Amino acid sequence: MSSDSCATSGTANETASSAPEPEIGPTRRSLLWLKSQLLVKTRREAKDLLLKILFAITTLIVILPFFLIVIQLAVTGLSGLTLDLFTTFPGASLTGGIRNAIVGTILLVLVAGGVGIPLSVLGAVYISEYSPPGRIRSTVEFASDVLAGIPSIVFGAFGFAFIVVFLNVGMGLVSGGLTLAFMMMPTVLRTTQEALRQVPVSLREASFALGATKWTTTWRVTIRAAFPGIVTGVLLAIGRVMGETAPLIFTSGNSLTTPTSILGPASWVASLPFTIWAYVSDPRPYLQVKAQSTALALLVMVLAVDVVANYISRKVTRRLV
Amino acid sequence: MMTARTHQIEVYDLSTWFGPKAVLKNITCHFSDNAVTAIMGPSGCGKSTFLRTINRLNDMIGNFRMKGKILLEGEDIYGPQANVYELRRKIGMVFQRPNPFPMSIRDNVKYGPRLHGVKDDNELDPIVEKSLKRAALWDEVKDGLDEPAPNLSGGQQQRLCIARALSVDPPVLLMDEPVSSLDPISAQKIENLIVELKKDYTIIMVTHNVQQAFRVSDQAAFLYLGELIEFDKTRRIAEAPADERTEAFITGRIG
Repeated sequence: MSSDSCATSGTANETASSAPEPEIGPTRRSLLWLKSQLLVKTRREAKDLLLKILFAITTLIVILPFFLIVIQLAVTGLSGLTLDLFTTFPGASLTGGIRNAIVGTILLVLVAGGVGIPLSVLGAVYISEYSPPGRIRSTVEFASDVLAGIPSIVFGAFGFAFIVVFLNVGMGLVSGGLTLAFMMMPTVLRTTQEALRQVPVSLREASFALGATKWTTTWRVTIRAAFPGIVTGVLLAIGRVMGETAPLIFTSGNSLTTPTSILGPASWVASLPFTIWAYVSDPRPYLQVKAQSTALALLVMVLAVDVVANYISRKVTRRLV
Repeated sequence: MMTARTHQIEVYDLSTWFGPKAVLKNITCHFSDNAVTAIMGPSGCGKSTFLRTINRLNDMIGNFRMKGKILLEGEDIYGPQANVYELRRKIGMVFQRPNPFPMSIRDNVKYGPRLHGVKDDNELDPIVEKSLKRAALWDEVKDGLDEPAPNLSGGQQQRLCIARALSVDPPVLLMDEPVSSLDPISAQKIENLIVELKKDYTIIMVTHNVQQAFRVSDQAAFLYLGELIEFDKTRRIAEAPADERTEAFITGRIG
């Protein structure tokens, strides 16, 4: 503003010019931005703006449940989240902690992973590296896609009828773990297959052109290059089966301690989701709180697995590819 | 009865098919030792197929068939006694796009020798250094041999791929349009490198770039629709192509 206009326009104007125009505070700047966003000049712009708002609200609704769950669990369950909860076994009238369930879930995931991961990874390697494209490949792909969509309670019923009764394994760690392994297989198979498919043919050819055999190429180049994708798929599958209740209801049994044998009633095993289900179904108020705390613990464990999956895939991807 | 060997790579009456489609038709030629032979031709004329037939990389493709003979040092590479792994050790290959393995620079070069039984690091390290020097990459990477190879620039990656191919000491080197995906400066470097390498290696290079073929090669082959139209000294073809299709190609009328 020129000095000339200052002289003629009195005090009000002088105070206005004493705040220099280019320096706008962050609040004012965002208000200005908002104003520019809301500035409607024509009908078409109004329509555009309305749709934009609609999409924003939709996104908000979609992500809302996640935050609601976290908030709800934190509000109702955080008070019960003490060190004792993790370190002690349930006592009389189910007071005490959930150590049985935490250890049980870890054991079940170990059995499921130990059986399910190698089988499905090797199967995926065979399908995508060895089998010619055609009948076998599409049959396996179709079967595993269907398998991935089967409701978990069906796996539970199958695990009971086939493993517990027909194979006469009985309820416990082995039956529960194997049932979870069945659930993991389609996910791990398909993600591994996808990861192998992403590896460029030219990498395999470079290996062959140096005189490598099929197996050396597959092991040292293809699987290696696909490794981040495979790990991600494996961890996502683990995260998924960690939270499954239905496959375990008829197969794993339940227990107030950790299993002491591989088979038989002493191998019955508790798990976090099963415990949540049992406690929520119980009318005693302190078990309601404990159910929420257990749910929170399970949520944190699943999130941790997902975070690790993300970290590994990003870290290894950067290092290798 | 075979005549005494005159060339490392000799091709007699080679025809190939993918399923019912004939790709190469009755090709006979001898590639000069310690020289660069450029295989030129328009897209789809069978250049890459020809190259990949020489190291049997097409075997992997289900419906590939071939007839005729390719001799490496006098032995039929498709013969019943042929060892495909040993054959591929003797015939190195560099691809159109740089395709380093997702591992360190050092491990990329070690990969080949390890396949063929060299396990000791005391033997492997000199091979790494020698191969990278031969590929004119050593000075740029010697302080970061354990860096991931995919972090290198495109031109460096391609030279690493050349070093990787040289690591198993192949007498013959196949190159499938080795600079077509690179920037001009990297391409120039690799062209110079190819001229340098021909002192010790028999190089067969596919290209659709006529000027590059003329700059780099000693011999040139012109393939058109699967037929070998012309095969002679590059200078002769450049000055006076014998066939009008060759002339049409090198003057840019077909391409």
